[in-house]
Amino acid sequence: MGKEHQKTYWKSLNELANNEEYQKFAEREFPENATELKDGISRRNFLQVMGASVALAGLASCRKPVEKILPHSRQPEYMVTGQASYYATSMPFRGYTTGVLVHSYEGRPVKIEGNDLHPASGGKTNIHAQAEILNMYDQDRSRYVRNNNEQSSWDDFVAFCNEHFADTDRRIAFISEANHGPTFSRLKDEARNRFPNADWVTFEPFGEENVLNGHQKAFGEKLRRSNRFDRANVVISLEDDFMNAADNNVQNIRRFNEARKIESTDDELNRLYVVESNYSLTGSNADHRYRLKSSKIEAFTYSLASRLSQEVEGLEVFAGFNDGSIDSAWIEELASELLANRGQAVLTAGNEHSAEVHAAVAAINLALGNAGETVEYIEVPTVDQQDQNVRYREVVEAMQNGEYDTVVLIGANPVYNSFSDLDFEQALNQVDTTIHLGLHNDETGSRCSWHVNRAHFLETWNDGRSWEGTLSVVQPLIKPLFDGKSEIEFLAAIVRGEDHKGIDLVQNSWQDVLTGDFDTQWDTVLHDGLLEDTGYDRASVSIAGNFSSEMERAISEVPQTSESDIEFVLRPDPKLLDGRYANNGWLMELPDQMTKITWDNVAILSPTTARDLGIPDSRYFGQTDIPMLSIETNDGTVELAAWVLPGHADNSITTYTGYGREIGRVGAGVGVNAFAVRNSRSPLVHSNVSVSPTGEDYEIASTQDHHSMEGRPLVMDAPIAEYRQNPTFAKDETGIYEGEIDPETGKPINLYSVDHFPDHEPQWGMTIDLNSCIGCGVCTIACQAENNIPVIGKREVRRGREMHWIRTDRYFSGDEDGNPKVMHQPVPCMHCEQAPCEQVCPVVATTHSDDGLNQMTYNRCIGTRYCANNCPFKVRRFNFFNYAREFLADGDDPEIIQMAMNPDVTVRFRGVMEKCTYCVQRISRAKIETKNKTGDSVKPPDGMVVTACQQACPADAINFGDVSDRQSNVSIAKDNDRNYNLLEYLNIRPRTSYLAKIRNPNTNLA
Amino acid sequence: MSQNAEVAVKKPLVKGNHDFGSITKLVSDIPQQQTPTWWYIAFGVANLLMGLLLAMIIYLIYEGMGVWGLQQPVSWGWAIINFVWWVGIGHAGTLISAILFLFRQGWRTAINRFAEAMTIFAVMCAGIFPAIHVGRIWVIYYIFPLPNSMALWPNFSSPLLWDVFAVGTYFTVSTLFWYVGLVPDLATMRDKVKGKVSKLLYGAFALGWRGGNRQWQHYEKAYMLLAGLATPLVLSVHSVVSFDFAVSIIPGWHTTIFPPYFVAGAIFSGFAMVMTLMLICRKIYKLEDIMTIDVVEKMNIIILVTGWMVGFAYIMEFFIAWYSGVEYEKFAFVNRAFGPYAWAYWIMMSCNVIAPNFFWFKKMRRSVYVSFVLSIVVNIGMWFERFVIAVTSLAQDFLPSSWGYYSPTWVDVLTYVGTFGLFFTFFLLFLRFLPMVAISEVKGVMPQADPHYYDNGQTNDQETK
Repeated sequence: MGKEHQKTYWKSLNELANNEEYQKFAEREFPENATELKDGISRRNFLQVMGASVALAGLASCRKPVEKILPHSRQPEYMVTGQASYYATSMPFRGYTTGVLVHSYEGRPVKIEGNDLHPASGGKTNIHAQAEILNMYDQDRSRYVRNNNEQSSWDDFVAFCNEHFADTDRRIAFISEANHGPTFSRLKDEARNRFPNADWVTFEPFGEENVLNGHQKAFGEKLRRSNRFDRANVVISLEDDFMNAADNNVQNIRRFNEARKIESTDDELNRLYVVESNYSLTGSNADHRYRLKSSKIEAFTYSLASRLSQEVEGLEVFAGFNDGSIDSAWIEELASELLANRGQAVLTAGNEHSAEVHAAVAAINLALGNAGETVEYIEVPTVDQQDQNVRYREVVEAMQNGEYDTVVLIGANPVYNSFSDLDFEQALNQVDTTIHLGLHNDETGSRCSWHVNRAHFLETWNDGRSWEGTLSVVQPLIKPLFDGKSEIEFLAAIVRGEDHKGIDLVQNSWQDVLTGDFDTQWDTVLHDGLLEDTGYDRASVSIAGNFSSEMERAISEVPQTSESDIEFVLRPDPKLLDGRYANNGWLMELPDQMTKITWDNVAILSPTTARDLGIPDSRYFGQTDIPMLSIETNDGTVELAAWVLPGHADNSITTYTGYGREIGRVGAGVGVNAFAVRNSRSPLVHSNVSVSPTGEDYEIASTQDHHSMEGRPLVMDAPIAEYRQNPTFAKDETGIYEGEIDPETGKPINLYSVDHFPDHEPQWGMTIDLNSCIGCGVCTIACQAENNIPVIGKREVRRGREMHWIRTDRYFSGDEDGNPKVMHQPVPCMHCEQAPCEQVCPVVATTHSDDGLNQMTYNRCIGTRYCANNCPFKVRRFNFFNYAREFLADGDDPEIIQMAMNPDVTVRFRGVMEKCTYCVQRISRAKIETKNKTGDSVKPPDGMVVTACQQACPADAINFGDVSDRQSNVSIAKDNDRNYNLLEYLNIRPRTSYLAKIRNPNTNLA
Repeated sequence: MSQNAEVAVKKPLVKGNHDFGSITKLVSDIPQQQTPTWWYIAFGVANLLMGLLLAMIIYLIYEGMGVWGLQQPVSWGWAIINFVWWVGIGHAGTLISAILFLFRQGWRTAINRFAEAMTIFAVMCAGIFPAIHVGRIWVIYYIFPLPNSMALWPNFSSPLLWDVFAVGTYFTVSTLFWYVGLVPDLATMRDKVKGKVSKLLYGAFALGWRGGNRQWQHYEKAYMLLAGLATPLVLSVHSVVSFDFAVSIIPGWHTTIFPPYFVAGAIFSGFAMVMTLMLICRKIYKLEDIMTIDVVEKMNIIILVTGWMVGFAYIMEFFIAWYSGVEYEKFAFVNRAFGPYAWAYWIMMSCNVIAPNFFWFKKMRRSVYVSFVLSIVVNIGMWFERFVIAVTSLAQDFLPSSWGYYSPTWVDVLTYVGTFGLFFTFFLLFLRFLPMVAISEVKGVMPQADPHYYDNGQTNDQETK
């Protein structure tokens, strides 16, 4: 440290604090440069700019996380330094909660895992749960209460509430995100009672409102549906991407895979049909997929109902419906499947489809006896009884008319994600007092008179209910980093005009819930993360009286669209959803499951449509400049890069929302805001748009250039009949020839000594079951969170330098213009026994451990990259720049994001190679614990070492353990017929092997 | 020079009716003349380019490997291509000085000094690349077997380590060989120059050479031994360079034909480079009498032969890939010719296999202009050969999901351009200050060197003998 630096460090704290620039900096959350950045995706540039303010930055944050440097003179109970502790809490997500276990070091949460006691989680997570850690340590989070965009305080806000809301006759509009938590609901009722002139509307851009309204039409009640995929032989999804961007997807995937697991040739598989326009993740796992424009889904549903009405009762209203545009062979086949599997099938439609579609789907499920069996209808008592879509429109219109004097926005961000025809921003300007609670001072918050910085769920007390009603408490893992407030504290301040502590509010609610000794039960709830045996009641349903008339009207109003009209479909991004995860670098850089695009949304279309529009129907190698399309809708025009995705419906273009945010160093300016053309009348689809190429190109960073397997035996799959005939088909095709097997050892002939490895136990190995894997990518995020993998930005990804240690390869096979099959294959380091990377490293920086790990010694690595060249799986990742430093050490207060890092894992420096370690830190931990317990053995019991990817995987596709133990789970998996190695002929003996995928096609449709 | 055996030399190797004195004058006058203007201009340009190289290296080290176009899956790009290319060029010198010496090819004396100098400078250019292409240059010493407290050795099974030794040895021996050959000529220079300082310097490097009988005897023995020592190096260095590829498992790299193929290619490109430089120098320095058109023709024949060896290897690779029956191998080669890098492949094929065929014709072989153009074409082709090998194999290997397309950045390009600056800086210094032709050796192959030359009052017509 230079002398000058020292001087600055020790003597100028006051100077710095009084420094004019510092003052300015403190007032502003984002240094000017950040918002001015045109190229929001060039993180590198951006961070360099940020670096300029580093001198100030040390003190510039409004409140740094408190770091007490005194050691504990007495160790707090249960706390062992360097030892992680787990706390059960639950993660609120679009109105319901999922149980999670949070991995915490010295009071610092670093990793979220699923809570295996919790029925919705079962110990598993999705990409959003994994990414929430980064959301909490988001440096761009709002750090203080603002009044007219000036810094204010929570006390001022409470004082304001006390005064402002003393007048209970005020016309107030509460616009809230969905929340069914007991405390929130209690305060909501309180608010409604206290302010008789108030209106309360729940606004979720992609919520379940259409489903609820559909059930209102069908059954006369707003019921939630819960699809029991685990009980179904046949699943038919009408554009319901239930594995991905849908509610409760962890439980959906788990249930679906329960009926999909295959241990031997005797097992039966379920069968999945998907009817959709975009090639969704769920569609990619379908046994049969029907490409259909989204605007035709309604007609398809009624056609199916019409066909079924010939066989079952209760669907008479649909009889005779024939749109003429639906392939009758498909209707016929689906109908016969449904009829053959009465009470054992699930018919489900996507959230975005109209209430009428859901009503028809519900009626079919009821008529076929699926209701109550494979499709459960749940009574959610806290659900808003009015149609919230209608209410929202009414409230915004009333705002326009100046009918409200106060608007309270709880977690919602309608300025960004409202409907284009409602002009929420304009409406907001008509209201005198606008109050916003949000994690960010976002598009809405910055336009409100009051903004309250929200606390992340890992920082606060709260409670909630899971999709099926399991009660759980949200408990804080850390003191709010920026003194944020939870929605219940915020609401309490408004309703009661007082500052209430979150824990008191929650405990008050739970006084009624817990019947026995409160303290004991409370402790149990906190420990388990849920209250056992709680849940919503299942409703027994019957067709409502006005169902027929409602449906008759709907059928008569089915839009007649021409086949040649191009429709434009707006769907939630699988990663960013409605934009709430836009500032999360991990999710932004996670390749889209189907397009493999990072950092952008695009116009997805089929090759045929591309040709019709006069743009190339395929991309040449290394093409990053993608032609742009101008899509003209009635609500405005958007320009998007045209991405050709085989299997997309023809004459249909899909794009994802959630991009084009205004705020955040990650999300700002990335992609195009599709909400700008999403209207409230038909939010899902513009049925007729005019599309033309703009003649300009746009740069896209995709992680996979080539999508054919070129006939190579990489992902092995077979129809179940073929599998039963030849259970070892995968091995047979990928294996080596008999002549190359050494008769003595039974193994392939080898140049090297067979006793290459010491006689050591355990020997680690992994299997990935491609039959279970759905390709969601949660393994990538879990790995990124566990192993401190940096986010590198669009430009670097575009250059092919993504750092993910486990990637999911996606291949198409079959007719590109038609309906090609898709295969997903997660690829981590294979930890080859005869690792080609080890042999070529000139400095022995990558070696084999006694327990069979292919290790990287970062300190020894000089970065020749020879290992990466010689890796046949191309799983090695090189630090071309100082990515970790850019990710973790630049910016105004990097110590915040640094806290998200796992202290057990080295942060890698520029110029070194890295790759999957099989989570060696977890192995070491287990070895240490085992040795502590047993005294000498370093062989952890089977199942004690769980890799991050394995732990997160909701499909349970990954198995890890000791392959020297023939009884271990991984050995049993490796003994399975379907087990095969990638690139067997190289004789590199990968420790990670794959289990072939089995499909269950309907022979009538093949 | 033991060229005194009875050799049926058909044509005199030196033209223009020179005697020993005029040869000495012809060569040793060059460093003594006033520095020509063109030299200053050329040296200035070369220096600028060398500065560019330095700037690019500093930029690279400051910013990181990412300033190059490297990526997954192509982790080796222009740097390795340039390395192999320069090492290949550096092949001609030792071949000419060692192997042709052992084979008693008298015509080599016209170009050996020149070619050896080129070799050394080319190897210097080559040596830069492996050093700067590592991610952490500040710990590059890990690659040397240095004693350390961790008792850690480098990995002796890694071809990259073999490379370090092979290129290091080659550079050392080439330099030594060149210097030993220079000693008598340095002494000549010492005796000729007028300036005090230059006399002192030439004198110092001439190591007290007096041209005595014993000195010559020792010298020729040493030269012979060094030639013997250098000969295997000609074969080994590029064989080892080829191991960088051949030892790996990547289809298109994993090929047993690589060592001979690389050596042939190296001789091919090395001769082409000597040709390019020689044709310029003989013109400028009026050395046509020594560097005769016959020498040009002989070199063109070698270019033609090695060109066909390389062409044979290209075809053989295809055959073996097909014959192996391994789909990945087959794909790799078909992909080279018809894949996304087909343009590079066909540049390589036309430059290396098609272009040299002009040398079947004597007229072409003896044409200075054709030789000059083709020598450049060959080196372009050889650069692309390395590009095709290194890049196409990596860009599309086993798993199609990882396939990519590599393109260089401006830093890659300017670094390569900069190495020409380094090369020409040294080469121009060589031309300016050292005798560019081995004076004593040329004298040795002149008819006058024959002890019986004056016996019959012959002039220089040996054919009647």
